[in-house]
Amino acid sequence: MDFLTGMAYWGIILLAIINAFIVFRMKVKIAGEEDEDEKKNVCSVG
Amino acid sequence: MEYLAKNWVILIIMIVYVAFCLGIGQWFKKKAAENVDAFYVAKREIPGWAIALAFFSTFISTNTYIGQAGFSFQAGLSWAWVGVYWTGFCMISWLLLGPRMRSQTAKLKSVTIPDYFDYRYKSSFSKVIRIFSAVIIIFATLWYMAAIAKGCAHLLTSTLGIPYAWGAFLIIFITTLYSVMGGMYSVLWTDALQGIIMFFVAILMVMVPAMYVGGWGPLMDGIAHTTHLTAKGQPMGDGLMTFCTLVSFAYITSIGFAVGMKQIAEPRCLIRFYSVDNAKSMKFAMIATPILLGISLACVFGLGALVHGMTTDTEAAYLVKHTDQVVGFMLAKFGSPWVTGIVMAGLFAAGMSSFAAVSIIVGTAFVGDIWTLFKPMSQAKQVSSTKWLMWVYSAIIFIITLYPPAGIVELTAFSGAVFAAGFFPAVFGGLYLRWGTGKGVFWSMIIGIGTTLLWRFGLRFYLPGMKDIHEVIPGFIVSLIAYLIISKLTSGDMPDKEHLDHVFHTQES
Repeated sequence: MDFLTGMAYWGIILLAIINAFIVFRMKVKIAGEEDEDEKKNVCSVG
Repeated sequence: MEYLAKNWVILIIMIVYVAFCLGIGQWFKKKAAENVDAFYVAKREIPGWAIALAFFSTFISTNTYIGQAGFSFQAGLSWAWVGVYWTGFCMISWLLLGPRMRSQTAKLKSVTIPDYFDYRYKSSFSKVIRIFSAVIIIFATLWYMAAIAKGCAHLLTSTLGIPYAWGAFLIIFITTLYSVMGGMYSVLWTDALQGIIMFFVAILMVMVPAMYVGGWGPLMDGIAHTTHLTAKGQPMGDGLMTFCTLVSFAYITSIGFAVGMKQIAEPRCLIRFYSVDNAKSMKFAMIATPILLGISLACVFGLGALVHGMTTDTEAAYLVKHTDQVVGFMLAKFGSPWVTGIVMAGLFAAGMSSFAAVSIIVGTAFVGDIWTLFKPMSQAKQVSSTKWLMWVYSAIIFIITLYPPAGIVELTAFSGAVFAAGFFPAVFGGLYLRWGTGKGVFWSMIIGIGTTLLWRFGLRFYLPGMKDIHEVIPGFIVSLIAYLIISKLTSGDMPDKEHLDHVFHTQES
């Protein structure tokens, strides 16, 4: 198998690894999580 | 009795698999019927690992495991470059769209893609956009669902001898039944189960040719120089293992974009983001989905080329012109009922997961985005109407599957291009551009879909050298440019600042 053909196979794996590295460094936030946590606190207090 | 003696392994595996799917539907029946939020988006409480598997199994259909895998019999191992594009688009989808889409849709209380356009853009065109995009979903997915049902029915005919019409009925009935029972809960959890099966089946499939010839060394030696002929009758020589000898890179790029882009534009993929339960889950899914997809594609995309190691010259001469039969040939030649049964379960999982995902998307689009706009109804009524609509739509799909129009597979690929041209600018602009407007969305849809149609039916096959440029590429570019320019020109149609601050708050803080 030549280099460019083989590159498709290890390239896919490399892409997945690069992606994992990017996501590790990202700060992911989801709106409403703070609100939901607050709601849970209020419920548990109530 | 003879039939049972021959097929008992496959039958047992299939029955266990179907029982699991229906069991999941039954398990979530009560919970899904609670309200619209539960039935449409599973109350946004599904863990990241399940969503990752669901995204993977929804995007990949039977066509990948049979059609794309088989095509490398003709195209060689270079065909895996299509998998590189698909994995790249998977990354783009999760990195750019996932977290923002989950956040904004929760804030806006959006439960479908068309209602996201409505609530996000708050434009004088919003209701028109919502109905228009729901209509696109209903009509564009019709062919896709019929193509899946057709593929699965043929599979049942070839492996278990079930008549085509009964095969189509069983696939459509079972999938619709569990989707209707448990709504988005059962669709996502069965998708997750199907994703696990599909992942391991991809690995099993790629091992079959190596097991048949006695190891990877002999297999690779066998296909490195072959006497088999191409579809045009030329000797393949070392073409299977050298870069783009048997297929052009332009064609690989065309299919890579045309299908890969579905992950950034098709509602069946985008709706997965709605149901992720929290940021930690989102992060996990962002990492896991490209890994699941990438490994599976690396296994599947070169499979046909490897099958050359199992074939004689005569068999290869037939298969190179009938690449859809390569996987079936491989299983028959390997001759293990257990391997055939497990792979069959994987192929059905691939088909059913995509079918179920689209089925609920159509039901929610018709009822949630069209019907309720004209006739408001209670949440309980909306859920029951959606269920009925899913049954009616499935009946229509069944009829189309019985009498499929010529070129249904091409129609399926074309519908993907319509979504990329029609939906991507609206989604991306909605998530990132405060200045995007409803008028920009509306005209980008019209111009993008118009360009797609023009390229497909007016230019692609008539202009020299344009055959390999799929309509998704001009449609997508023109649509995006139209969105940007028209949004700038219609800034008066922007929502008020308070609304935009509410929508964009989390991402910018």
